[in-house]
Amino acid sequence: MGIAVRAEGIYKTFRSGWWGRKQKEVLKGIDLQIEEGEVFGILGPNGVGKTTLLSILSTLLFPDQGKIQILGMDSLRDGHRVREKVNISSGNANFLWSLTAKENLHFYGMLYGLNGNHRAKKINDLIKLFSLEEHQDIPFDRLSTGMKQRLSLAKSLLNDPSVLFLDEPTVGLDPSVSITIREQIQVIQKERGMTVLLTTHNMKEAEYLCHRIAFLKGGEILTTGTAESLKRMIRVGDVVKIEFKGTILEDELIRADGVINYGISGNLCEIIVDDGERRLGNLIALLSQGDLQIKKVTLGQTDLEEVFIEFAKNNDSDMGLCD
Amino acid sequence: MNLQKIMIQTWAFVIKNWIITKRNVFSLFEILFWPVVGFFSVGLLTNFLDLNADMAGFILIGVISMSVIQVCQIDVAYVLLYDLWSKSLKHTFIAPVHPFQFISGSWLIGVIRSFIVFLLLSFLSILTFGFDFLKPGLVPLTLFLFGLFLISGLIGMSVCILVLIFGYKAEVAAWSITSLMALVCGIYYPISILPSPFHEMAKGIPLTYFLEYFRSFYGFEGGKNLLGWGFGQIVVYLVIEAMLFKIVLRRARKTGVLIKLSE
Ligand SMILES: Nc1ncnc2c1ncn2[C@@H]1O[C@H](COP(=O)(O)OP(=O)(O)OP(=O)(O)O)[C@@H](O)[C@H]1O
Ligand SMILES: [Mg+2]
Repeated sequence: MGIAVRAEGIYKTFRSGWWGRKQKEVLKGIDLQIEEGEVFGILGPNGVGKTTLLSILSTLLFPDQGKIQILGMDSLRDGHRVREKVNISSGNANFLWSLTAKENLHFYGMLYGLNGNHRAKKINDLIKLFSLEEHQDIPFDRLSTGMKQRLSLAKSLLNDPSVLFLDEPTVGLDPSVSITIREQIQVIQKERGMTVLLTTHNMKEAEYLCHRIAFLKGGEILTTGTAESLKRMIRVGDVVKIEFKGTILEDELIRADGVINYGISGNLCEIIVDDGERRLGNLIALLSQGDLQIKKVTLGQTDLEEVFIEFAKNNDSDMGLCD
Repeated sequence: MNLQKIMIQTWAFVIKNWIITKRNVFSLFEILFWPVVGFFSVGLLTNFLDLNADMAGFILIGVISMSVIQVCQIDVAYVLLYDLWSKSLKHTFIAPVHPFQFISGSWLIGVIRSFIVFLLLSFLSILTFGFDFLKPGLVPLTLFLFGLFLISGLIGMSVCILVLIFGYKAEVAAWSITSLMALVCGIYYPISILPSPFHEMAKGIPLTYFLEYFRSFYGFEGGKNLLGWGFGQIVVYLVIEAMLFKIVLRRARKTGVLIKLSE
């Protein structure tokens, strides 16, 4: 498999005010490599530059410095050719207000050079795919947020992009619509083998969709990895709670594989392990050795949310960087 | 195949402006109400002032040219203004289209709309004021109109350029550039009456030459080689604006205007 997106040393500073005197350094040396067919998530606090990065990679914005290759093409020199192969869909999408959903799709379909029959068929398929049938003849400004979002996704698939950029695709949607859209993205991505670059503030979404996740902070990528490896990295770990009767062999417990910490209060023992599912069997076997009677076991897994909070609050220096 | 693609992309902008025009009551005002109202108020003024037929003709040519230019240029300006108002600018610029395509597509619909305005007004002028636009013959009329259309394209392009630099602040340009040109280029009077800097300025604007050219068929003395000057200047300005457009678009991609105006 090839590399779909390769970015090296991306810097971007926004200038405003007279003669650009006010400066805002947003990106300070971003390196990325995303493989073909990968779903890559970018997380980070508000205003950290996720949209800026996506805009740069999708040719809407030039970086101050850096190299970008999309599908092997130099996107700074060959923007026009890159644009044929990529597309973008963002949360809170806006299209031409007085055109209906279908007319908007036709307009953008024409911008990608699709001819009459081919275009009509493709648009009908997309309308079906995103259940827009009943809304296709409603002007854009009268569509609900959910419908606008679906239209935006439909639009972004018009040119069968090889690389798709999704900027907060489910922002502002109710939970059930979000889940539907998320599932659709996954199905379409798998079917077409598209490379997807996605930003989100929804950790469930990131965990559900992304093969790898990068955490952006202070203009740099703090770390990259799978959701699992990120969880391990911040060492929050999973919590195994055991209600018991008898005495716990504490010496053995702390030396057991994967145990990070533990605490006992009364007949409740909380053990923090790196990977709950994997260690649970061993732990129970170990504890059952003495006169211990186990009453109840619960396994609480860290979710990405905790990872996010941990990353967002920590100083760059005390994070274990990159895997 | 590639040509077909370019044509589809260009046609997209014709369709877009057409649908929006069709759906907007205001646009009916643009092509019917304002031109007709302007035409009659100036036409009746010439009656009241008791101008002779030649003088009245001089002024009617000016009024109708103004309307044609205003209607045609606004279509070109709209191509980015609609995107600006809908905040959908970035979707146009992430598609593989060339500025040439959206300028020429929207210009095409502008030509159609303003030609309708021209037919309407010239019909009214022969009906109510007995002034015949066909007197110079079909070829001079066609050349004259073609010149007006190209000038409109130039004005529309400059509005687009200003939009890419100033965003919303550039809206006013869509309506004011034409009026400013009317002042300088002698819509209602010969440029010879203009004081010094404006007189020279008028000579740098192609509209001046096309008006002089067309009026020369009605007995008004014009300069030499007017069409050469007119079309020559148009070509020069087209080249300059094309380069400016490229620069401004690059700048927009640098400063992030395209994204900012889409939020
Ligand atoms: N076109 C622009 N001109 C000036 N400043 C900009 C521009 N676009 C973004 N910024 C600034 O750059 C910073 C990063 O913005 P960006 O939209 O990329 O953040 P983000 O990570 O997408 O945030 P959010 O999570 O809120 O979507 C912000 O401080 C923003 O104000
Ligand atoms: Mg954002």
